[in-house]
Amino acid sequence: MERRNFLKAALLGSIAGAIQLKPENIFAGESASAPEKNDLVAVMGGDPVTMYKKGITAMGGISRFVKKGQKVVVKPNIGWDKKPELAANTNPQLVAAIVKDCLAAGASEVIVFDHTCDEWQACYKNSGIEDAAKSAGAKIGYAHDEKYYKDVNLPNGVRLKSAKIHESIIDCDVWVNVPVLKNHGGAKMTISMKNYMGIVWDRGFWHSNDLQQCIADCATYSKKPVLNIVDAYRIMTQNGPKGKTAEDVVLAKALFLSTDIVAADTAALKFFNQFKEMKMEAVSHIGKAEKLNVGTTNLDSIKVERIKI
Amino acid sequence: MYKLLKRSRVVISLLILVVITLNFLYFANRETLFFANFLKIQFVPALLGAFTGSGIIFSLLIILTLFFGRVYCSTLCPLGTLQDIFTKVAGFFKSKKKRRFSYSSPKSILRYSLLALALISLIFGITSIISYLDPYSNFGRISTELIGRAEQLIQNGLSTIVPESVFFRTYSTFVAGSFVFAAAFLILIIVMSAFWGRLYCNTICPVGTFLGLLSRFSMFKPKINSQKCNHCNLCIQNCKSGCIDTESGIIDQSRCVACLDCMNKCKKGAVSYKFSWKKEIKEETSKDNNQGKLQSRERREAIIAMGLMGTLLASRAIGFPRQIDSAPKITGIAPPGAGSIENLKKNCTACQACISACPNGIIKPATTQYGLDGILMPVLSFEKQFCGFDCTVCNQVCPNGALKPLSLEEKKLTQIGRANFRLKKCIVYTDKTDCGACDEHCPTKAITMIPYRDTGLFIPKLNKDICIGCGGCQYVCPATPEKAITVSANEVHKTAQKPTVEKQEKVKVDSFGF
Repeated sequence: MERRNFLKAALLGSIAGAIQLKPENIFAGESASAPEKNDLVAVMGGDPVTMYKKGITAMGGISRFVKKGQKVVVKPNIGWDKKPELAANTNPQLVAAIVKDCLAAGASEVIVFDHTCDEWQACYKNSGIEDAAKSAGAKIGYAHDEKYYKDVNLPNGVRLKSAKIHESIIDCDVWVNVPVLKNHGGAKMTISMKNYMGIVWDRGFWHSNDLQQCIADCATYSKKPVLNIVDAYRIMTQNGPKGKTAEDVVLAKALFLSTDIVAADTAALKFFNQFKEMKMEAVSHIGKAEKLNVGTTNLDSIKVERIKI
Repeated sequence: MYKLLKRSRVVISLLILVVITLNFLYFANRETLFFANFLKIQFVPALLGAFTGSGIIFSLLIILTLFFGRVYCSTLCPLGTLQDIFTKVAGFFKSKKKRRFSYSSPKSILRYSLLALALISLIFGITSIISYLDPYSNFGRISTELIGRAEQLIQNGLSTIVPESVFFRTYSTFVAGSFVFAAAFLILIIVMSAFWGRLYCNTICPVGTFLGLLSRFSMFKPKINSQKCNHCNLCIQNCKSGCIDTESGIIDQSRCVACLDCMNKCKKGAVSYKFSWKKEIKEETSKDNNQGKLQSRERREAIIAMGLMGTLLASRAIGFPRQIDSAPKITGIAPPGAGSIENLKKNCTACQACISACPNGIIKPATTQYGLDGILMPVLSFEKQFCGFDCTVCNQVCPNGALKPLSLEEKKLTQIGRANFRLKKCIVYTDKTDCGACDEHCPTKAITMIPYRDTGLFIPKLNKDICIGCGGCQYVCPATPEKAITVSANEVHKTAQKPTVEKQEKVKVDSFGF
């Protein structure tokens, strides 16, 4: 080896080491063709749409989850009358990208809805999700009245034995859970499982009957989302879930996709913990759900792929 | 010419009826606040708002009356137009003979007593009497309680037929008293107008009576030309005010609503507007002694009424305080913009513009929350929703200045009430489980969750100085049968402290953390 070449290689190698570039990152694009499918994909460093595209490709493409002719529900968090910059709701661009993808995969219809906390029309409008979803081709589901919910039994629930669940979840073929990663005053964190509070009617019962347990109980509902996509592009690290100002928000630029809802929440929580300390034990619904065999908190036991953009 | 004038009157009055009704209907007022502008041209709102932005409109209404008489009653008042419609409809069910009106004598004692009562109570800061009698406010209540509810029923019917494009509108808290009041008033109006035309306007309505007194002095008055008149009585048969006495050839100007029907119907062209600021009144009065007496008596009444109106305006101009104590304890929370319960009571006529416009459906007509003199006035109910943090709709639509327009920044700091927390009712205390529903909904973070002893649980902590009384916490608190957190009214609205801003240090994260 010539000295010049050696020095070049050494320099490149040290740079690669310094930025922690691993071989799998370099070949991330090709791993989608790997025979064994990923259970969890974590993406970092891009805009919501780019991260989603990389992530869903690594998960095996949307066609792994949505088949031709299926009725699909995409369930973001639209809980609050807040603008997208305040990260109280799922990123509208992400919602639009998922909707488009589902329709491209042949979905017969895509419905987007949430049982909001603030007045529903203001939430739908000001979150930017109504416009984004509609222009992507989705229908907006109404979820502001008890009439849109039907009783469902939850035989595996500990405290929550039945719940009124939104009819579009009951009627659809598959649903995709698209929460936003946030701090939460009551549940400590709100991620994928907490996002179920937007598919049920009587949330008051949860709050008055061991909130953490009820969150885990509802995740035992037999009709599970085919995919959980956690929006962590902007994350609310304090004063959640509503937030006060942009000061509560951090631009984290990440996205987590998983078929395992417990794993999705575990991964997102560990990511969140780097910005603001939050222990697994505090967010006890995650552990409780694992106990109910909803999924695993052991990320080493599943196939995980990490993508940095 | 009178034909054209009359047609324009009908068109304008119908337009005004429509835009004012639209203001109270959900499908229109959710989209735009445009229609609320038309509420300001109503007489009582303009009078009450004379010193809070409606001065020009009020002066214009007075000038209009001084020129042409009670044009307000025939053209601008939605209740007047509604009555004309009822009269017209009732006419279809009547024989031609029965359809005719006849002259009726004025019920002067009743009308002047009601006017005096309304004005005197207003001087003392009580709006109840004017609220119950004011045609616009009654029209507002009819629109909200009856037309608005019908609209909701239709919408909800459609929502079962086309569920994807029409949504179901949740029924908000129903206040039976207000509904019954509006329904009873509508029935009264239907009966009166079906049988006696504009009897309400000329006997009960204080606005009609006041403008009637004022129009004695108007520049143009309808007059019968005795040379042209052949006493065919067509004019009187068509006079819905019953104010034309063909025998003496006199039109009672105080009851004429300037509808122009007589001028239109007269085949001889004997009825027309005449310039009346000449000195012919004296001549006329000297003609008939009896008539003269009547006129001088009525003139006295007119002067007394003007005096009262003057006193009222003066008392409002100097901000004369309310002269009665709101004796019973006030439990009602007034909408943001009210400033104080006192200000609300001094200015609100319970037209329900705010009630029908509130997107969250939390403003309700009061029963006893404000005491007896506050019945039907807007009060907040946190039973099914709470006050939207980013919303100022109620105080934008109020035509009276009872709710003064607030900027969003002002509104976010307007403390209409304060939350009270009772630990012993809280789920975290009673059940030893996490809850945090109140903290979740608090827009200013007056509520924060702090570690509760060493249980690992978190309990709400309340900073009342930041609280604005929006009721989010009260609405959502799941504790039963008694809520652990409730909002109590501020009789005088305060300015809350600005919510604190917790700066975050920037953390550089470039790994996934797992």
